[in-house]
Amino acid sequence: MTLTELLSRASAGDQAAWNAIVDRFSGLVWATARAHRLPRDDAADVAQTTWLRLVEHLGRIREPERLGAWLATTARHESLRLIRRAGREQPTDESDLFEAPDDETLDRHLLDLDRDGRLWRAFAGLSDRCKSLLRMLMAEDEPSYEEVGAALGMPVGAIGPTRMRCLDRLRATTEIAELGA
Amino acid sequence: MSDDQREHETELLGELRRLARTVDPVPDDVTAYARAALGWRRVDAELAELLADSQLDAESLARSEGGGGRFLSFRAADLELDLEVQETDQGVVVLGQLAPAASAEVEVQRDDRTTIASGSSDALGRFRLELAEQGRVRIVVRRDPPAAPVETSWFDA
Repeated sequence: MTLTELLSRASAGDQAAWNAIVDRFSGLVWATARAHRLPRDDAADVAQTTWLRLVEHLGRIREPERLGAWLATTARHESLRLIRRAGREQPTDESDLFEAPDDETLDRHLLDLDRDGRLWRAFAGLSDRCKSLLRMLMAEDEPSYEEVGAALGMPVGAIGPTRMRCLDRLRATTEIAELGA
Repeated sequence: MSDDQREHETELLGELRRLARTVDPVPDDVTAYARAALGWRRVDAELAELLADSQLDAESLARSEGGGGRFLSFRAADLELDLEVQETDQGVVVLGQLAPAASAEVEVQRDDRTTIASGSSDALGRFRLELAEQGRVRIVVRRDPPAAPVETSWFDA
């Protein structure tokens, strides 16, 4: 079923159609909030508000096939709003991919200390710009470049080259770590 | 980029995606909330969208500096709603103004599906409601028929 059909059904109250929309884009919305460095509680707030906004606008979405971009833009808007309202340093939480994990954290997530630990630490060592971009590309539903651009306020043309640069840097760091091991 | 490089990239992203899935998946309660949100779908009512929030907007911040309250403005097709929200020791006080002025039933709904305050506006369209605590809320205004009910977008009081 197309997004146009799903949205149309959801507007008429079809819960199954709505659930399909939520399932398809929940990764994108969550990743957008997390790519803005929001801790889990705040990211949850942003995600909830974003979905409420979609419900408010059901039946009025002008380009239903570009719903992903609409959701990403809304989630970004709400993330920036929250950051602005808080106006202070956000505390980090222990499931923060952007921070290098200690052994205890790795243990808790049942991660292989060696391989996954190295990958996480290398990821955490990248620039903020790289981490935000890669965090979007790491979303379960593999967002399009248009959706990623909307989520980060980044021109679509810059995504490919930046992605390549960031992954090169990541690979170099993990390889260097391997040499040292 | 060579095919080898492309493959390496895809592999690396695949590993990163797995890492994110393990460490930072979408919380179940967020998904549940999102699915349940369809229950807030408007059937007959009109939406009054948030136009301005002094908490975010520098110009309004300057205006509100003296009063210490927060000012919000909502607009539907045929109704404007201005609010002043003040935090007190007992909770939150909401002072409202409808334009055009109308006597109407006013209700504050919270996103857990409870009505946490209700009252009515006077002939000049003014109302005052008290909330015991902060939360994500919306305001529902019911004027005399044939006017449709108006629901504001959700905001954090």
